[in-house]
Amino acid sequence: MSEASQENDSPGYSLMALAGIGILAALVAIFLYVPTEKTEGVVQRIMYFHVPSAWIAFFAFFIVFLCSILYLWKKEREWDIYAHASAEIGIVFCSLVLITGPLWAKPIWGRWWVWDSRLTLTLVLWLIYVAYLMLRAQSEAGSIRAKYAAVIGIVGFLDIPLIHFSVLWWRGFHPQPKFITTEGLGAGNDPSMNVTLLIALGAFTLLYFLLMSLRVRLERMKDEIDRIKKERLYSH
Amino acid sequence: MDNLKYLFAVNVFVWGGIFVYVFSLVRRNHSLKKDLDLLKETLKKDSGHE
Amino acid sequence: MNTYLSQVKAIVWKDFVTELKTRELFSSMFVFAILVMLIFIFSINLSIVDANQVGPGVLWVAILFAGTLGLNRSFTLEKENGCLQGLMLAPVDRSAIYFGKMLSNLAFLLIMEAFLLPVFMIFFNVDLVSHLTPLLAVVFMGTLGFSALGTLLSSLSSNLKTREIMLPILLYPLIVPIAIGSVRLTGQVLDGKSLADMMNWVGLILCFDIIFISASIMTIDHILEE
Repeated sequence: MSEASQENDSPGYSLMALAGIGILAALVAIFLYVPTEKTEGVVQRIMYFHVPSAWIAFFAFFIVFLCSILYLWKKEREWDIYAHASAEIGIVFCSLVLITGPLWAKPIWGRWWVWDSRLTLTLVLWLIYVAYLMLRAQSEAGSIRAKYAAVIGIVGFLDIPLIHFSVLWWRGFHPQPKFITTEGLGAGNDPSMNVTLLIALGAFTLLYFLLMSLRVRLERMKDEIDRIKKERLYSH
Repeated sequence: MDNLKYLFAVNVFVWGGIFVYVFSLVRRNHSLKKDLDLLKETLKKDSGHE
Repeated sequence: MNTYLSQVKAIVWKDFVTELKTRELFSSMFVFAILVMLIFIFSINLSIVDANQVGPGVLWVAILFAGTLGLNRSFTLEKENGCLQGLMLAPVDRSAIYFGKMLSNLAFLLIMEAFLLPVFMIFFNVDLVSHLTPLLAVVFMGTLGFSALGTLLSSLSSNLKTREIMLPILLYPLIVPIAIGSVRLTGQVLDGKSLADMMNWVGLILCFDIIFISASIMTIDHILEE
C-alpha cells in the first residue's frame, strides 16, 4: 500500500517527455506546417486547439462514466480516484473549449457566443462537471461520497446523447461555415489540415494521460497520509 | 492581421491554463510527498521507541 | 409481484394521506408556480415579444421551479420525521421506495399542473380546450421524466447539508432535454399541429423517461443505504 511514494518516477518522466514531444510537434504543425486557411485566415488555427480540447472533454467524461460504473460494481477506491481525476481534468479541457470557442467566433462571426448545438452541448457538459465536482466537494470523504458521485457520473453521461439531440433540434439546422465541423475540415480541404488536427489530438491525449497520472498519484498520497494518521491515532 | 490577437489569446489561455494546472498538481504532489515522508519518519521513530 | 405493488401503493398512499392533512406541499408549489409566471410576465417586454411565443417557455419554467420545490420538500419531510429510516428498516425493496416516491411526486405535480393550466390559459390567452388531449400527453410525458430523474437526485441530495441548492445544481443541466422538448412540443401543440408530426421530440422525451427510470432503479440501492 505504500507504493505511492516508493514507486519510481520513470514512468512519470517518460510520460512527461512523450507529452512534451507531442506538444512540440503540435505547435510545429499548427504554426509552421499547416497553410493558412483562405477564407478565415490565421484565426482558423484556433480550431486545432478547440476541436481536440472538445474531444478530450467528452472522452474524459466517458472515463468518468466507466469508472463510476466500475466503482459501483466493485466498490474499490481505485475506480473512485480515476473518476474524480478524470472529472477534474475533463473540466479543465471543457473550460478551454468554452474559452477558445468565443475567441474563434468573434472574429469569424462577429459575436462572442452563438447557440451552436455543439457549443451549447459543451456548455451543459461543463455544468454537469461542475455539479459533479461540487457534490464531491460538499460530501465527507468516504464511500458515500464515492457512491453519490458515481451515480451522477453515470446519469450525466447517459444524458449526453439526449441533450445533444434536444439542442440540435432546438437550433434547427444552422447553416455553418464549412470549416467548423471536423467533417468539413476533412472534406475537400488541404490534407495537411487533417494531419495537423490528428497531431494536435494526439498531443492533447498524451497531455490527458499525463495529467491523469499526476492527479491519481496525488489522490493516492492523500489516502496514504490519511491511512497513516489513522494508524497512529489508534496505536496511541 | 488584426485577428492575430485572437489566436494569441487562445494560446495564452490554452497553454497558460494547462501550465497553471500542471504546476498546481506538481506543487501539491511535492508538498504531500514531504508530509508523507515526515509522517513515515515519525512512525518509524514511534515504533523504534516502543 | 403483488407484495411489490402493494409496497409501492403503500408509499404513495402514505404521501397522499400526509399531504391531504396539511396540504402544505401542494399549496406552496402552486403559489410558487403562479409567482414565477408573474415575474416572467413582468420581466418580458410584451411590446417586442409575442406573448404566445414565450407562453410555453414560461409555463414550463414555472412547472420545473415549483417541481423542484416539491421534490426538495418531499424528501426533507421524510428525513425530518425519520420516515426514511423507517422505510429502509422495513423489508421493502429499495426500488419500491423509489417507485413509490416517484409516483407520488408525479401525482402531486400533475395535480398542480391541472390547476396551473387554466391560469396559464387566462394569462396568455391560449385556447387549451381544443388541443386538450395532445397537450395533456405532452405535459404528462415531460412531468414523468422530471419526476423520474428528480426523485433519484433528491433522494441523493437530501443527505447533503446543502440539499436545497444542490438539487437544482445537479438536476437542471440534466433536465435540459425535457425542458427543450416539452416547451417545443407545447408550443407546436397549441399552434394546432398534431403530435404525429413531431414524433422525434415525442420519441426523445419517451427515451428520456425510460432511460432514467431504468437508471434510477439500478442505482437507487446505492443511495438508499445506511
